[in-house]
This record gives sequence, structure tokens and C-alpha cells, in this order.
Amino acid sequence: MVNYLVFLAISVAIFALFSLGLNLQWGYTGLINFGHVAFMTVGAYTTVLLSSQGIPVVMAVVIGAALAALLGLFIGFSTLRLREDYLAIVTIGVSEVIRLVALNEEKLTRGAFGVQDFPLPLANITPNLPARLVMIGLLTLIAGLALWRMWRWIWKREWATGYLDKALRSRPTISSIILGILSSLFGVTIYFVGALALYDYSYKAGLMLLSLIVLAVVIWALEKLVRSPWGRVLKAIREDEQIPRALGKNVFWYKMQAFMLGGAIAGVAGAFYAWQLTTVYPSNFETLVTFNAWIIVVLGGAGNNAGTLLGAVIFWAYDALTRFMLPAIVQSTVVHSIFPAIELLNDERQGAFRIMVIGLILILLMVWRPQGILGKKEELTLGR
Amino acid sequence: MVDNTEALTTQKEPYPLLAASGLCKSFGGIKAVDNAEIQVAQGTITGLIGPNGAGKTTFFNLLSNFIRPDKGRVIFDGEPIQNLRSHKITQMGMVRTFQVARVLSRLSVMENMLLGAQKQTGENFWRVWLQAKLVKREERQLRERAMEVLESVGLASKAQDYAGALSGGQRKLLEMGRALMTNPKLILLDEPAAGVNPTLIREICDRIVLWNQQGMTFLIIEHNMDVIMSLCSRVWVLAEGHNLAVGTPAEIQNNPQVLEAYLGQ
Ligand SMILES: Nc1ncnc2c1ncn2[C@@H]1O[C@H](COP(=O)(O)OP(=O)(O)O)[C@@H](O)[C@H]1O
Ligand SMILES: [Mg+2]
Repeated sequence: MVNYLVFLAISVAIFALFSLGLNLQWGYTGLINFGHVAFMTVGAYTTVLLSSQGIPVVMAVVIGAALAALLGLFIGFSTLRLREDYLAIVTIGVSEVIRLVALNEEKLTRGAFGVQDFPLPLANITPNLPARLVMIGLLTLIAGLALWRMWRWIWKREWATGYLDKALRSRPTISSIILGILSSLFGVTIYFVGALALYDYSYKAGLMLLSLIVLAVVIWALEKLVRSPWGRVLKAIREDEQIPRALGKNVFWYKMQAFMLGGAIAGVAGAFYAWQLTTVYPSNFETLVTFNAWIIVVLGGAGNNAGTLLGAVIFWAYDALTRFMLPAIVQSTVVHSIFPAIELLNDERQGAFRIMVIGLILILLMVWRPQGILGKKEELTLGR
Repeated sequence: MVDNTEALTTQKEPYPLLAASGLCKSFGGIKAVDNAEIQVAQGTITGLIGPNGAGKTTFFNLLSNFIRPDKGRVIFDGEPIQNLRSHKITQMGMVRTFQVARVLSRLSVMENMLLGAQKQTGENFWRVWLQAKLVKREERQLRERAMEVLESVGLASKAQDYAGALSGGQRKLLEMGRALMTNPKLILLDEPAAGVNPTLIREICDRIVLWNQQGMTFLIIEHNMDVIMSLCSRVWVLAEGHNLAVGTPAEIQNNPQVLEAYLGQ
């Protein structure tokens, strides 16, 4: 159980990170990227291949993120001047090309055999008690900060969009408080499990701590950025790019920066993904991964970093719940007697069924709350 | 460097702030702008009028390079700008507004205004991190200035509302204020009075005169003749994409060709 929850925490961190990159591109800048997984692939392969060659892991990640950003530059240069749908099409194509390169350039990537036995961070250490306590302390710090930020935000409702803007506030609502309590419970559970896992140190526990630290730093940095004048230009581009153009902003270059930075973040997520998998196959980077990020961003509310984090939590909570509950329901005799056709839902079909239900949930969400869980309802009524 | 004073006198005096000549633009078969020219003298309020579909808006798009001209030259502040990208032109001090006001709906009115300011330290990715203090201070100063401008266009009480919640007329005002935030030498206004109520039109006109006295030059497209007559010292008339007449408002009003273009068909 502890192991599984640690796995969940790492997955949430990785997908939150990955989706935050997309949120910067789409949620804040309005760039439609249907090939986000390409950045992750580049980040993952670069990190593992370079670190296998003896390059320090940290440096390998930095190079991986830089190469992902470079891929963004490359895609952006050819499409960002064109109409926005070109970007959508080209990104789909590029992500497939990247995956096919990973599959077929066997000399470089070992193709379908996958890359194994690459160095993992914090893997071959046996921390003594003080070191483990420091780790637990760090985890406590992150958990505390997250909870504090969340509740302050629920209470004061600082929907502030500007730098010092205290405006556009609204009152705390019952639903936001319930959501806060649920999130707190989840957070506290993960915290205790995480602390326990760190105490009996294992590689995955270390990876969890590392991924959570990186996630916290990235969220903090992104929040600072999107509230800065730099972020204001991105939001302006999302709303109507002719306006920043008329006001002297180099729209193309800002789009490029958002695209590259989002790509670099996805590249870092790729490194963590590889470390979690410990063996990297091209099949880990299928188009579905991109759409998982889209689900997460849409679920939480586009243009909202906290929403993206929440989206990742819900996505994985759903995954975990259905993974265990669905087989139990299908096998239960009570359900069988009421609804015999459930037999048809065998193991293979269950996977597809779970994805289908996600689709259904998204449709319902779009009907009931199109702005996403943390999105602002008022924004829907605004004219163009 | 040696001939500094001479260069200044020869540059400033005889040349207009904005001069365009031989501008052409066709959309498919339609010649929207056909060999049109304009000159806007420093410190003036110049009008641009013409019947609907005369090509006035297209002309603005060509001047600001929102649409690339097929042919022609545009000189602003002594430099050719017809090959510059639009944002560069704004950075040089020529800003345009849109006929159908465009606002950043899901940003606050204040944020719309702040976007207008030029050379913001915080618009550079690295400086957000390296000069955080300066960015914050600039932001505070910009807010004060934005508030002043908002007051002058009567939107101060709306500063914290979503821009998308403004009415059509208010959007025009916001757009004008936002353009002003760029600290331009020349503002191109495309029908600033359209959709604005009459009392407010008077106020806007007073504002424009005030800003003009502070040294800003205006080029205004407008259908409201009262506005043109009361503001402009010189009026250019465009019809079917080319220049029909130019002169003082009184001259234009009595020009038979102009009357024909407006009433004729
Ligand atoms: N983007 C465009 N594509 C095709 N035709 C256009 C476009 N913009 C303007 N036109 C045409 O050019 C002519 C001039 O339009 P416009 O400049 O908007 O006139 P005005 O602003 O003087 O009313 C019109 O016939 C219009 O239909
Ligand atoms: Mg027009």
C-alpha cells in the first residue's frame, strides 16, 4: 500500500509538471499543442542516454530540458508565425516523428528493446537517520507550504491576475471549502505515507521527494512569471494577439518563449518519468500521454496552475480508484445477479472502459462547468 | 555629429511627422487603397474622412503595417517604416486603435492599460528574476499613471472589472487610454466616436485637444462631422481608395467633389 501511494505521488508530480508546461502554452498563451509528449520524449531519452555515458544526472536533465526547448524553437520557428491551427497539426506530426525516431534509431535508443540500467538519482545511497530526518523535514515543508497556500487562497480568494492586484476577488464558496478539505485529506495522507516511506528509505521514496521539490519550485516560478508583466503579455496574446501587436510587443517572440519554456518543463517531467519507469520504451510516449495532459489541464481549468495540479491529482485518483474498484465490481456476485451483462467487461475491456468514462466525465464537466473545476465562471459570460 | 544643429533644423521643420505616398493594396480584384497619400504635420490633429468602404481602415492598416502594402512608402519621424514589423512601429511612437474596439476580455481594465506601457523591465523573462525590485516599483508607477489616464477617459471606477464586461463605447475609451499608455508621438484613431454617447463624445474631444496641447499628434478617422470640424486643422478625403481632396474643414465642407462623393450616388 505504501509503495503504491508513493508511486501515485510520483505520478501526480510528473503529470502535474508535464501538464504545467502545456498550461503555460495553452492555458496562458493560447498555443494549441497536440504533441506535448514530444518534449517529454526528448527530455527522457536525453537524460537517460547522457547519464549512461557518465555525464552527471543533474547535468543530463538540464541538457535534456534544453534540447526539449530547442525542439520548441524548431517547431515554433516554422509555425508560430502562421495561423494557430498549423501549430496544432505540426505538433501532432512532430511527436509521432520523435517517437518513431526513438523506435527506429536503434543504435542511439536501442529501439523497442528499451533503455535499461541507466543511473538513477538518489538510488545507491543509504541515508543515515539525520539525513532521513532532513528529507522528512523537506517533505513537511512542502506539504505545509502547499496547505497554507491553498487555504489562504480559498479564504481570501485572491483570484488576482496582476502583480499587486488584489482585485477580482470573490467570497469563499461551500464547494471550494469542500474541495479544500478533500485536497487537504489527500495531501495529509500522501504526506504521512511519504514520511513513512522516507523513514524506511527506498529509491522510490527519494524520487518522490525529489519530484515534489521540483514540482513545488516550478509552480512557484510559474506563478511568479504569469503574474509578471511578462505573463501579462502571454495572456494578452491568448485573448487577442492583435492587441499586443498594436501595443509594441513582439508577439512571435513571446509565443516562442512560452512554447520553449513549456517544452523545457515537459522535458524535466520526461526525466522523472524515465526514472520512475526505470526502463524507457518508445511505447511509453504515445499520443495518449499528450491527451492525458490535456485532460488534466481542462479538468482543473485552463490558465490556472493550481487547477492543473488539482487536475493531476484527480486524474490519478480516478486511475487508482477504478484500477481496484472496477475488477471488484465486475467480480461481485451481487452486481452479477442484477446485471449479468457486466461479464462482458473482461480485463482487456476494462482498460478501454476506464478511458471511456473519463471521456464521459469530461463531457459532463463541459456541460456543467466548462471553465474547469477552478476556472472562473464570470469569464464565460464575457463578450469578445 | 559636427552638423548636429543643422541636421536638427533641416529634419524637424520641413518634414511632416508622418508621410505616406503611393500606397496601394488590393484584396483580390478590389483595389481597397489605390495610390493614396497623406501627410500629418507634427503637433496637429489631422482628419481622414470618406464614405463607407472608401478604404480608410485599410489605409490605417497599411500605415501601421498590420497589412503589408502592395506598393508605397511610409515615412514616420524621418525614417521609412513600410518594411518594419508592426510592433516596431509602435515602439517608434506611432500607435493605432481599431475601428471595432478590441479589448483583452478576461483581463481587468487595469491590466489592459498596463499592457500599453513601453519598455517595461518586467516584460523581459530574465529581468523578472534578476531585477524583481525594479519590476515591482515600475509596476506601481505604471498603475498610478494608468489610473490617471483611466480617470481622464472616465473609466477609473471600472479599473478592476473585466474588460470584457465593458460596453462598446467604454471599450473605445479603454482602447484610446491604452494607446495613450504607450506614450506615442502619433495616435491613429479609427472612428473614436462611433458608438459613444454624445455627452461623452464632447468629453473625448476635450481630452484629445488637451493631449494635443501636451504635444501629441493625432490622425483621426471619423464619420461624425462635428468632431472633425471642431478638432481638425486639416482634413484628407478618401474615396474609392484614392485621395479626393485635402484642406481645412471649411474648405472640405464646401468642396463640390466631396459633397458628391458623400451624397452623389
Ligand atoms: N481583409 C479584407 N479582405 C477583403 N476585402 C477587404 C478587406 N478589408 C477591407 N476590404 C475591402 O476594402 C474596401 C475598403 O474597406 P475599409 O478600409 O474597411 O473601408 P472604410 O474603413 O473606409 O469604411 C471595402 O470594399 C472592403 O470590403
Ligand atoms: Mg473603417
